[in-house]
Amino acid sequence: MRSRGRLLLLQAAAPIVAVFAGGVIASAIILAIHENPLSVFGLMATFNMQAGSVASILTSATPLIFAGVATAIGFQVNVFNIGIEGQYYIGAFAASLAAFGLRGFPAPIHLVLIITAAMLGGLLWVWLPAFLRRRRGAHEVITTIMMNYIAFNVVLYLLGLVRDRNLGSTVRIRTPLFPPSAQMPHLAPLLNALGAPIPGYSPLNWFLVIALALAIVVWFWLRRSRFGYEARATALNPLAAEAAGIVVGRVQFVMFLVSGAVAGCVGLSDLLGRAGYFDIDFPKGLGFLGISVALLARNDPLGVIPAALLFGYLNRGAEGIQAFTNVPREVITILEALIIMAIVVAYEIMTRYVRVLRKQEVA
Amino acid sequence: MTGSLGTTSAPPIIELREITKRFPGVLANDRISVTVRAGEIHALVGENGAGKTTLMSILYGLYQPDGGQVLWRGRPVGIRSSSAALELGIGMVHQHFMLIPPFTVLENVILGAEPVRAGVVALAQARARVARLAELHGFDLELDARVGRLSVGEQQRVEILKALYRGAQLLILDEPTAVLVPQEIRELFRNLRRLRDQGRTLVFISHKLDEVMEIADRITVLRQGRVIDTVETSSATPSMLAEMMVGRPVLLQVPRPPALPGAGRLDVRGLSVEGERGRPRIHDVSFNVRAGEVYAIAGVQGNGQAELVEAIVGLRRAATGRVLLDGRDVIPLSVAERRAAGLAHIPEDRHRRGLVLAMSTRENLILGHHRRRAFSHGLLRDERAVDRFAAERCREYDVRVPRLGTPALALSGGNQQRLVIAREFAFTPGLLIAAQPTRGLDVGATEFVYRRLLEIKAQGLAVLLVSVDLDEVLALADRIAVLYNGRIAREFRRGEADAATLGLYMTGGGPPTGQAAP
Ligand SMILES: Nc1ncnc2c1ncn2[C@@H]1O[C@H](COP(=O)(O)OP(=O)(O)OP(=O)(O)O)[C@@H](O)[C@H]1O
Ligand SMILES: [Mg+2]
Repeated sequence: MRSRGRLLLLQAAAPIVAVFAGGVIASAIILAIHENPLSVFGLMATFNMQAGSVASILTSATPLIFAGVATAIGFQVNVFNIGIEGQYYIGAFAASLAAFGLRGFPAPIHLVLIITAAMLGGLLWVWLPAFLRRRRGAHEVITTIMMNYIAFNVVLYLLGLVRDRNLGSTVRIRTPLFPPSAQMPHLAPLLNALGAPIPGYSPLNWFLVIALALAIVVWFWLRRSRFGYEARATALNPLAAEAAGIVVGRVQFVMFLVSGAVAGCVGLSDLLGRAGYFDIDFPKGLGFLGISVALLARNDPLGVIPAALLFGYLNRGAEGIQAFTNVPREVITILEALIIMAIVVAYEIMTRYVRVLRKQEVA
Repeated sequence: MTGSLGTTSAPPIIELREITKRFPGVLANDRISVTVRAGEIHALVGENGAGKTTLMSILYGLYQPDGGQVLWRGRPVGIRSSSAALELGIGMVHQHFMLIPPFTVLENVILGAEPVRAGVVALAQARARVARLAELHGFDLELDARVGRLSVGEQQRVEILKALYRGAQLLILDEPTAVLVPQEIRELFRNLRRLRDQGRTLVFISHKLDEVMEIADRITVLRQGRVIDTVETSSATPSMLAEMMVGRPVLLQVPRPPALPGAGRLDVRGLSVEGERGRPRIHDVSFNVRAGEVYAIAGVQGNGQAELVEAIVGLRRAATGRVLLDGRDVIPLSVAERRAAGLAHIPEDRHRRGLVLAMSTRENLILGHHRRRAFSHGLLRDERAVDRFAAERCREYDVRVPRLGTPALALSGGNQQRLVIAREFAFTPGLLIAAQPTRGLDVGATEFVYRRLLEIKAQGLAVLLVSVDLDEVLALADRIAVLYNGRIAREFRRGEADAATLGLYMTGGGPPTGQAAP
């Protein structure tokens, strides 16, 4: 009983210890370039406390929650969907088509149509790897990576076909601008009314709320629905699941598709809340960040939320450091990656340790 | 301890003093004191959940006791890990082997304790040592055979050899006979006696009292975490031990109502099944099981039982042939559809096929029933209905668990088996396929399961019993088929064959032309 309490404590402390380990590694690097780690961290902390920074953190966490949940859904049942990247690119492009192509709908309906298009885009792109895995046993890591390459080039090609030709002499390649009905309303007015001093220019929008709701719904669905039960049984002991009449391959297939559909939404917050068009500079790499987020969250849909916030925090902190210190940009990027890696590794070690202790308790 | 010291008063090799171990909600070991003498075979018996495995895990360094002391050769020791235990000379063979199937016997034995010379495993040297050990103890093992290809009995020998290779003076065997057929048990006992005669000490856990009577020098009985007594085997009887274990007299015999078979339920016709890598394992097998009848398949493990069962429940494709359930061909049906048609299945290996160990007891109790209307509330699960069902099942089948939310892996081996049985007996199945259903159950639970089985049978259940335990087969079966080499060597009616005759057919013997069974 005594050791059980200690176990719970250790478990709760694991992420904190992990973040601490990340900080130690970062300090070493900062020292190496002759800066004071404490003042750099202090700067980061004060900078990140500003209202503008908070808004920015939440904004950058939004797509990461989608990406983290999409990854976690697959990883939960041992489906390693590395193709979130390509799926969200296709999803975002499909969403753009629906955004500028459909006119005359009231905003709520238009937005629902756009989100549906994004999910269908993701679904389209995940379907082939999922199908190949189910039918031919092709390994999804390889097929999804290939699909990522195809996605970028397909999108570039299609963008050339639908690009806005009214841009005159500029070489800019982008879709036509979206109508107002395709803009996701921002959160700043509401939050200001509630007394939160979010700056009016912040692109923070309702996709944050949708992302949070999604994480909670997925968590609940896995815990309390029949299908979620089958998914967990599949993940924890596929042989017993099979003997109980659960078709393991089908559960994995469905989870694979759901993962792709969610992935289709990763880019929407940027697309509909900020840009208002799709161009060749549309943010890349969110899918890969989603893998780190899911890893840190240990594939728990709820855990994805703090993990994504942590990434947003580091990201914003890096901007602050860059603006106010002499730390070169490259070092900051390296730092960011190292901190994330240190956290993931330290967390993994901690949870393994806890697991070993727990096994002694419960095995 | 009140047991007489007897004439052999060898010095104790290990002394457990007032060992206490608590788990959330259970006192697994309650001030247990046991002395094991050097050079004896010491048996540990007790009901499911009595604390045997826990006590031995403490000895082997897997758990730390909450109180008490361990004395190794008279010296107090703290055993912090299994490597510390091995260093002292304590080895353990778990019920679930920890071998690596694609590795050879030799590689498995030396794994983790390889002699290394200049960074390279000194294989020749290791081989010589292992060969010497095997010969010394009369272990019949081919060192270069892949472990995955070995029979269960042989794998167990590899496990024992592994412990000896690491220098175990005291060897703990947790229910080693549960997975063995009678011939293998005899071989194991020969090996154990030889080990004892060479000065090693053995602790042996079993639920089979006749085995304990045969092999042990002294017996310690546990009940609900406490030592009841340690007795000399010569002064013990099975019924006395059973009474000490349970706290009341136990009937070791099950009264059997006469069989009143009804309509045919399961009809297997010309079934052939392939095993791994397309090797044919079942050849053109036909039999039928009627409602209200127990039909037993006896045979040495590895003669196709596993493949036969898997084909019937839908986990393996049938190469040719038909399987009819109540007249309907179920070969095209999925596992779930066969279950929905009234088939229940107690798998032979509860950890592999029967349980999701990391899930809670209540979630394990609905595994396979989880799609039933009774547990559904729209798309969600009706948690209250699940709780009610789980509580009722645990009560009826005496699954001892502190809370319904306790993960299945925290249950004792026997309680895990009870969980599986409680689940598969639920919702009145029409056909029950029971593979080694009482593996790991204590005497009382075995008796209970037999009674329950016969009761449900009398109400029209058809049972296909697959068991290596001939006593079980003879006690329960109305008809017995002996499976040898993927074929039914002979079918007997109840009373037509005794254990000796069955054993003969099981090993490929028997008269070439059967004495015309009517
Ligand atoms: N790791 C664990 N965590 C929590 N409870 C446990 C754990 N291991 C055992 N228990 C509990 O301790 C008690 C004793 O279990 P143990 O496995 O020692 O019984 P056993 O005598 O070996 O029984 P069996 O004959 O069924 O194998 C049981 O009530 C069991 O539920
Ligand atoms: Mg046990």
